[in-house]
Amino acid sequence: MPCQSFTSCPSLNARPLRFLFVLLALSVIHTHGKDAPVVPQQVNLSPNMKTQQLSISWLSGAATTFDLWIQRTELSETIFDDTVTADQVNGRYQWNWTSAEPLECTSLSVQLRSRDGQTTSEWSETQILQGMDFPSNKGSYMYPVDSVVNVGTNTTFCCIVGERRLFGSIYYKVVLMNATRLSRRSYAITRVNQEPSGMTGTNVFCNDYQNTILTGVVVFVGYPPLPSNLVCETHDLKSAVCRWNAGRDTHLNGNQRRTNYTLNGRKCEVASQSLNWTVCSLDQWDGNWTLVAKNPLGTYSLTDSAELRHRVRPVAPISLVSISHAWNATVLWQWMYKSYDSLALICQVELTAYGQTTNRTFLGVGLHSAVLLGLHPDEVYSVRVCCGAQQNFGKWGNWSEAHTFRTRMDIPETLDMWVWMDGEDTGRVMWKPLTRKQSHGLITGYEVTLWSPEKNIQHNKILPPSNFTLPFNFSQDDYTSGVKIIASITARNGAGVSLPASVVIPLHMANIEPPFVSRAVFLDGGFPLSWQSNTNASCGYVVEWRDASCLQDCSVDWTKVPAENTTISLRSGNFEQGVRYTFTLYSCSSKAPELMHHWQGYMQEMVPSRSVPHLSTNQQDSDIQLSWDEIPLVNRRGFLLGYNIYRNNGSQLTLLANVSDPGSRSYTVRGLPLDSYKFTVKAYNSAGEDTGTTASITLKSVTDWLILEILASLGTMTCFLVFVTFICYKKRNWVKKAFYPDIPEPKLAGDWSRPQGTMDVKPSPHSMVRIVEEPEWDSSKEALVAIPEEEEDEEGQGIGDGPVDADEPMSLRYYNQVIDDRPIRPRFPDSSASSASSLDSARTDVTYTGIQTSGSSLTFQLQTQGSSGGQQPQTEPPVSFAGGEGSYRPQMQHGNVGHSPGPAQPQCFQEPQSTTGGSFSCYQPQCSWNLDSPVEAGGSGGRALSLGSPTSIASTQFLLPEGGTEDSGDGKGHGSSSATSWFHNLLTSTKP
Amino acid sequence: MADRRTRGMTGSGQNRTTAARAAAIAEQLHYECTILLELFRKRESLFSDFAVGDGRLVSVPSPSSQLDTKDKLWCLHSALLQCRGLLERAMSREEEELGGGEKGEYESQGKLVRERLSLLLGCTGELLKAADGSVVLTPNLDSLEIDRSTSLFELKLWIYRVFKEVDYWSQTAITMLQALPAVTAKEVGRTAAGSRRRRSLRR
Repeated sequence: MPCQSFTSCPSLNARPLRFLFVLLALSVIHTHGKDAPVVPQQVNLSPNMKTQQLSISWLSGAATTFDLWIQRTELSETIFDDTVTADQVNGRYQWNWTSAEPLECTSLSVQLRSRDGQTTSEWSETQILQGMDFPSNKGSYMYPVDSVVNVGTNTTFCCIVGERRLFGSIYYKVVLMNATRLSRRSYAITRVNQEPSGMTGTNVFCNDYQNTILTGVVVFVGYPPLPSNLVCETHDLKSAVCRWNAGRDTHLNGNQRRTNYTLNGRKCEVASQSLNWTVCSLDQWDGNWTLVAKNPLGTYSLTDSAELRHRVRPVAPISLVSISHAWNATVLWQWMYKSYDSLALICQVELTAYGQTTNRTFLGVGLHSAVLLGLHPDEVYSVRVCCGAQQNFGKWGNWSEAHTFRTRMDIPETLDMWVWMDGEDTGRVMWKPLTRKQSHGLITGYEVTLWSPEKNIQHNKILPPSNFTLPFNFSQDDYTSGVKIIASITARNGAGVSLPASVVIPLHMANIEPPFVSRAVFLDGGFPLSWQSNTNASCGYVVEWRDASCLQDCSVDWTKVPAENTTISLRSGNFEQGVRYTFTLYSCSSKAPELMHHWQGYMQEMVPSRSVPHLSTNQQDSDIQLSWDEIPLVNRRGFLLGYNIYRNNGSQLTLLANVSDPGSRSYTVRGLPLDSYKFTVKAYNSAGEDTGTTASITLKSVTDWLILEILASLGTMTCFLVFVTFICYKKRNWVKKAFYPDIPEPKLAGDWSRPQGTMDVKPSPHSMVRIVEEPEWDSSKEALVAIPEEEEDEEGQGIGDGPVDADEPMSLRYYNQVIDDRPIRPRFPDSSASSASSLDSARTDVTYTGIQTSGSSLTFQLQTQGSSGGQQPQTEPPVSFAGGEGSYRPQMQHGNVGHSPGPAQPQCFQEPQSTTGGSFSCYQPQCSWNLDSPVEAGGSGGRALSLGSPTSIASTQFLLPEGGTEDSGDGKGHGSSSATSWFHNLLTSTKP
Repeated sequence: MADRRTRGMTGSGQNRTTAARAAAIAEQLHYECTILLELFRKRESLFSDFAVGDGRLVSVPSPSSQLDTKDKLWCLHSALLQCRGLLERAMSREEEELGGGEKGEYESQGKLVRERLSLLLGCTGELLKAADGSVVLTPNLDSLEIDRSTSLFELKLWIYRVFKEVDYWSQTAITMLQALPAVTAKEVGRTAAGSRRRRSLRR
């Protein structure tokens, strides 16, 4: 319209005015241009959502400083108000502002004004950067989306709540954040100093008031790439394989965030990645390499350069094979590249066996095999190979695949054998099992040979591989004593038989006096043993050991010592504490092993496992003797040092004594008052005491013991007498025959009925009595010596044909026994001649049997002595008799011995009285009793008449009455009276 | 006669066996899917009770009681097919957008669920063939694919929803397959009775 007015009202008069007006206006404008800056025009906002940067550009005058004012549109909150200096680019001023929060969070209003010192222009028109929270955008959104930030940075997230949704909360991972309201629908949180996120980033999400997720974002917090150690090498002498260490974890995953590598500008496809090492291959060897690693957070470069020959790293050998023998093997392999044929290689072969690994190195051009020496037969080996370049060696190549092979078998090693003798002719052949290294293959059996080279006898025995001992017994074998017997043994496996091991069996070892036993002390894990060298030990020594307490089927171990050694520290895993071991040293030679020394020792002594056995107490007056038995060896568990004697006082033990002699078995506690006592005896060794054995005793008075002893003695005697009596009663027949046999009847050879003259009696000068013995008497009457009649006759002294008991110290009693059956008439020798005749006849017709008793022996001797003085033939008829002394006179006796000191002579041959008194108990020789006078004799009644007068030769009764004996005034005769009478009665009562 | 009865019982028995086997597999799938969901929440530091919104990813109606066994089987099989497709795409996208790190228990469990789901599909396919021999075509999952421009968080939520979908349909499969033998027997009975009626009418 103005133009229209301007164009519709043209006038010539108006032209000068119009011109003046324009000049005035220009001058005004010019004046204002100097005084007030120009208001920025054409303000333009150009946001970068990813970098949250707002680029502001505008047109303006000459001013270079501007006031910038940015505020959130909805809430009119100023977020930036400052003076900035803008550069002019292409005629427009431009300034970049970076927002702390994503630009999408809410709408921003931007205004500018030019500043010239303190003078400013008017504010420009407001320019609004539209946020995502404008009303027509009704959804829920969160920003920034899928951001990637460095670790430690601060990030602000905002949530735009959808229309008609109520904001609830914002979580950073699982952390509830404090939200700030940016607009009606927009809320923001700021996470400071962020930590590296997980594999899939960190979730930040926004919930409504019902805790329902409205929206969310994922932020990746990580690091820029930082590779290292770029190394390029060649395997095939042509291409390059570069490796580098990827470095720390960037925490940025996903195709858009992971690190990309370029090598010499070519995108590197990662061939493999292990242990953080990345490998990339190039077809050609460039010599110089540049690696660029890049991820959303940054870029990093590495370089490397090398000549090809300096970076040769052979590949792993392939196709390993082996040619194995018993003690060595050859391993062969192949190379993947033909170019290796001319390459000087160094290879190491890793050999694994028995769980142990060894490396062996081999050199060669194009090496493709290696000979492995020092292997063991029948053993499984695992081998693998890796190689490197000899020249400019940089690094070993990769290991090949492992190859396994087994070496062949060989004959076993010679066995370690020994012979243990448990008797003179018995023992065991023992050998140690071969280890895997020694057996050289599976052992299938053993062969034991016992042979005698002298006798040329040989016994073989095949044993299974589980046997390691063979007992032998030569006592019932063909081998004779004194023969050398050799035991030898061989082991067999699949490859053959081992060399034999031999030992000469030390027979009759038990006869050898065992040498002195020393003590072996366990030190530093072994028993140190030493001995003097033996020149005979041509093949060394053998030390054998076993449990000393073992008596049967003992476990025996041994070790062999070279001849030049005389010391050894014996070690074994089988040694046990508290066990006494016996170590025996043998010298080894071509002969049987020679026993040299014995040791005994404990690995470690322990207290005895049992207390002293059978502890007993015995009172001796006021003393008490304690006695005990020996602790068995197996229970000692140490060398006993002695015994401790304790007295028990209630629960306490008071040491009474220490018996330091381990061999002692008793101890006497002296001078104790009458009381009850308990004693404990404990054996001890270097490890301590045993638990102890306790015994108790109550001391009694000595008088009581004396009475008890007397009563016991009397009782014993009584029992003995009763026993003897009983035995005698039971054996009375035997006793009677032995001590009181029947008097034999005289044997009358002639006819005693016809009248005869005076019997000439030829008294024996020795008053010898001819005795006829019963047959059974011969053997038992040892002391009686039969004097042959012929001798007597020759000497003119024999008086009978029976044997005479001449040296019997016992008294003799003689009984006449008539052989003739005819009636015996009394004979009346009335003269010495008749008497002599009678004696003479009696020498042939009458026999006497002697019975001895101890009480009458002396009597007999005295009588014999009396007769030894020479007996004279009696000439006077024996009308009476008096006890003649000094001679045996069956027919007559002197009345008084004392009155006839001369040689005794038969005074008479007394008429036999018909059982005067009838109480003769026995026939008493003439001198068996003594009469001091005829009166006295007559006072004796019938006894006096009967003395020295056999009553009847047919009678088996004793001719002398018992009472005569009893009344005998002579003590010599009385000494035997009681016993003999008792026996007489006893025997008489048994006679039928 | 005996042969026919034996064959008939054998076929029914096989169906019952297959259904029972399928139910057992569905139970195992459900269990393994539960573990997978737990591993996912643990990895993403999400609360166990967080909600991802309503709506199903699988566009197959839940088998209702109105449908017969064959239709139920068809629905289930179709849904499981979509689940497998979704699961494979979810795992593929996950590897593409978030993978590259060390593989762990979560990745192994996801592979296990995928294989178990294929196994269950094999069983339901057999049952469906036994029902009428019809074949379910592989569904077009393009419409179910998440937009590539979506944010990673939305991708994660989508993956989670896929897992939830597998979990849901495995639970549905358990219920349906466990009830399947009884239904089959009844239907066989009805079919036999109908045949007898038809034969009698002909006479």
